Amino acid sequence: MADLALADVHKTFGDTVALDGVSLDVASGEFFTLVGPSGCGKTTTLRTIAGLEPPTAGTVSFDGRDVTGLAPEDRDVGVVFQNYALFPHMSVAENVAYGLRFTDPPDGQTVDERVTELLELVDLAGMGERDPDQLSGGQQQRVALARALAPAPSVLLLDEPMSALDARLRETLRRQVKRIQSELGVTTVYVTHDQAEALAVSDRVAVMHEGRVEQVGRPREIYERPATRFVASFVGENTLFDGTVTDAGDGTVTVDVDGTTFRVTGDATPGEPVTVCVRPTALVVEGDANRFTVTVDTAEFLGETTRYYADWDDRTVVFRTPDPDLSGEITLGFDPDEARLI
Amino acid sequence: MNGPGLFERVNVPAVRERLRRSRGLERVGLAVVTLVTLALLVVMFFYPVGVVFAESLVVDGRPTVAVITAILTDEFFFGVFATALSDPWVLVESFPDYRLGLFGFTAYQALLSTVASVALGVPGAWVLARWEFPGRQTVGSLTILPFVMPSIMVAIGFVATFGENGVVNGFLRTLGLPTLELLYTLEVIVLAHAFYNAPLVARVTAAAWEGVSADATETARTLGASPLRAFRDVTLPQLLPAVLTGALLTFIFSFMSFAIVLALGGLRYATVEVWVYHSVQQLDYGTATGLAVLEIVVSLSLTYAYLQYEARQRASRTGRPAPRRDLLGGLTADRVAVGAYAAVAVLVFVLPMASMVLASVTGPDGVTLRNYAFLVERQAEAYDFQVKPLTAVRNSLVFGAGTLVVAVPIGVLLGVVSTRRFRGRKVLDALAMAPFAVSGIVVGLGLLRGLVFGFEAFGWRVTVAGPVAIVAAHAVGAYPFVTRNVAPALAGIDDALVESARVLGATRTRALLDVELPLVVPGIVAGMAFAFAISIGEFDSTVILATGTNSYTMPVAIERFLGRRLGPATAMGSVLLVVTGASFVVIDRLGGRRGFDG
Repeated sequence: MADLALADVHKTFGDTVALDGVSLDVASGEFFTLVGPSGCGKTTTLRTIAGLEPPTAGTVSFDGRDVTGLAPEDRDVGVVFQNYALFPHMSVAENVAYGLRFTDPPDGQTVDERVTELLELVDLAGMGERDPDQLSGGQQQRVALARALAPAPSVLLLDEPMSALDARLRETLRRQVKRIQSELGVTTVYVTHDQAEALAVSDRVAVMHEGRVEQVGRPREIYERPATRFVASFVGENTLFDGTVTDAGDGTVTVDVDGTTFRVTGDATPGEPVTVCVRPTALVVEGDANRFTVTVDTAEFLGETTRYYADWDDRTVVFRTPDPDLSGEITLGFDPDEARLI
Repeated sequence: MNGPGLFERVNVPAVRERLRRSRGLERVGLAVVTLVTLALLVVMFFYPVGVVFAESLVVDGRPTVAVITAILTDEFFFGVFATALSDPWVLVESFPDYRLGLFGFTAYQALLSTVASVALGVPGAWVLARWEFPGRQTVGSLTILPFVMPSIMVAIGFVATFGENGVVNGFLRTLGLPTLELLYTLEVIVLAHAFYNAPLVARVTAAAWEGVSADATETARTLGASPLRAFRDVTLPQLLPAVLTGALLTFIFSFMSFAIVLALGGLRYATVEVWVYHSVQQLDYGTATGLAVLEIVVSLSLTYAYLQYEARQRASRTGRPAPRRDLLGGLTADRVAVGAYAAVAVLVFVLPMASMVLASVTGPDGVTLRNYAFLVERQAEAYDFQVKPLTAVRNSLVFGAGTLVVAVPIGVLLGVVSTRRFRGRKVLDALAMAPFAVSGIVVGLGLLRGLVFGFEAFGWRVTVAGPVAIVAAHAVGAYPFVTRNVAPALAGIDDALVESARVLGATRTRALLDVELPLVVPGIVAGMAFAFAISIGEFDSTVILATGTNSYTMPVAIERFLGRRLGPATAMGSVLLVVTGASFVVIDRLGGRRGFDG
């Protein structure tokens, strides 16, 4: 296992800046996720770690050793790509064994033993003789995982490995990947555009935007205390109110949002422009404080709760409540402790 | 299975260090092999062509344009344009009755051939792209056949059809009508060029036609356009680039055509190529190399124009193609038109080959195998200076095998290199494809003057044996086809496959050998079939290099039999047809179609 560090990594393709100073530290054995919208640089970051994309500037190091100039075959990483990239002219077993052509299996195992072990690990025992195109998408994904793990890499890199699968299968496989990862304790970097997936599986998450890391933290930190406006809007369907601080003191800040006054727990200086960030479950129908009236626009029934999109002064407000039958004008409010100032 | 040892590494640094050392050679391997290949190309192609340039531009060790100027100002070569160099007024005075000269005539017949090929090819594209009928795919894949058809075989097919004792005149005689003098006319040359190039025009145009989105034409219709108007406004603009591409290629091929013009036109309708050959026969190497240089300038300019034009087109294959109409159905005007076209197509494309096979198995007394027997008997009886048929067959096979050995590795390697990103790749691409733009006659002439006649190197006189030079010429003509079959297949491989191999520990070279090449084996085999067919049918450079030796091949033997012994010539042509047909089946089955769809 290895810890992994990126220091001020830049990458440009012609005039396009893909990475604009990315620095990350991933601990040994950690499940670390890069999340962000498409084009944010998360895949480029992963490819830089793998050595498939030489950075324009900055360094990549494994266990404190600078590997920036090292070719991918010398890096000791395993990668699972979005489309699995199984070698179509090799059987499942040959695919899994491919990396063992260049390194010995661990523990003095034979190649066959190692392949059998890995196929068992991903619940594909006995499928070794099949051709990749005889397998379902989920099975192919697990073969790709077994192939990446066979040489016992120090770092496992997963590039949106679930995005081609349907929702139910994604959840099953996500759990399986998570289980295998914690069993093996291999340092893992996982790339996804799905914030819910990122929060569900990771030890820590880095939210990326326009080639930069916006925030790194444990899933709960990211969800509850978004550090930037972008993170707040990307993670967890927060409603954002842009306003100006009119008064502050005693741990409470008064913010004016186009004539409506909100009181939020926090610290700020009067006159400062701020964003008030409120999670959908923090907005309570007929709440006691910070009341405002919205018009329900659409409702999405989710089972336990219903998600409402409502209109307030041409702003979209998102809230969730168990009552599935709200419509028309509704008065909402939120507790000053439940909102965050950005 | 989750034992603590699962991911304990066995002495990782040592294993990696051992691998790293063994990989040194693999890392530079591709670069070394590329350099060796380029050196080989220099010897086989660039040096010989360079010799042709040197001989016409350097006289007595001094650079001079005298040879070129002499040709440019000779009315025989440039007609009225030669005089116009010193006296432009003559262009006005003699308008429009220009004397064209050799170059002018060459361009003129190429232009006529282009018009004929487009006229014959575009309706073919319409049938292939818009109609559904049994055997459509087979007909579609047959359009690649001209690429591997020996030109001399096509020529003999036309002699068997339109010659004095050909099928057409035989038919007229049966009807009691006077026979026609069709051979040695411009018309038959143009028709033979159309036989060759109309399928190409049809192929690229049909591909574009199939790419026209039905949504686009249907949108035009919903906006109020009539079917004809929708065709003019939406479909036609998307077809024109393809038609022009086909036309430009046809012009280039017809400009550089040799065997057809030699066999069907003779010296009366000589083109530049034929005159270069004629000059070589007369041992007038000055004129031969001078003409060759001017021809290269023309053909390179045309090819450059073609590549520029082709590069600007990007066929967008988005959208749903329009459904094909069923050809079998009630009699309508357009179904009659398809039928009429089919009849013309049979006359132009099928009749010459059928006539050749028919002529080979018939004699004055009906069906006979006499012509084939002659090939065997002649072998036993012929004098040493006469052409021995089986020797020709053996030579063809040996040269074909030699061509495979040389052209396939070169072609595959250049295919690999052309899919890599590196500085100067475009230059390498252009150099690698240069043989497309240089005629076989010029390559043959260069090899003859440069290698067979020998050159001085490090104080030694190096000469290359004729057969080796022939294999070199064939390989030069063949390897671009290998490359064109392999490169698109390689480019189509998902990058993630190679990257997966890399992160699993394979060097770039190992990834190539383990992953990429196994996946393009069909392309390589198709390329081999191309290479073999091209070698078997090659006439232009072989006829120059084989003159006065025993290295003649089947096409050369056919040309020598053609004058007096039509029967044996058609018999040998039929043998060539079988070999070519077999190659075609391999190419068609293994995806040789890729890379030729414009």
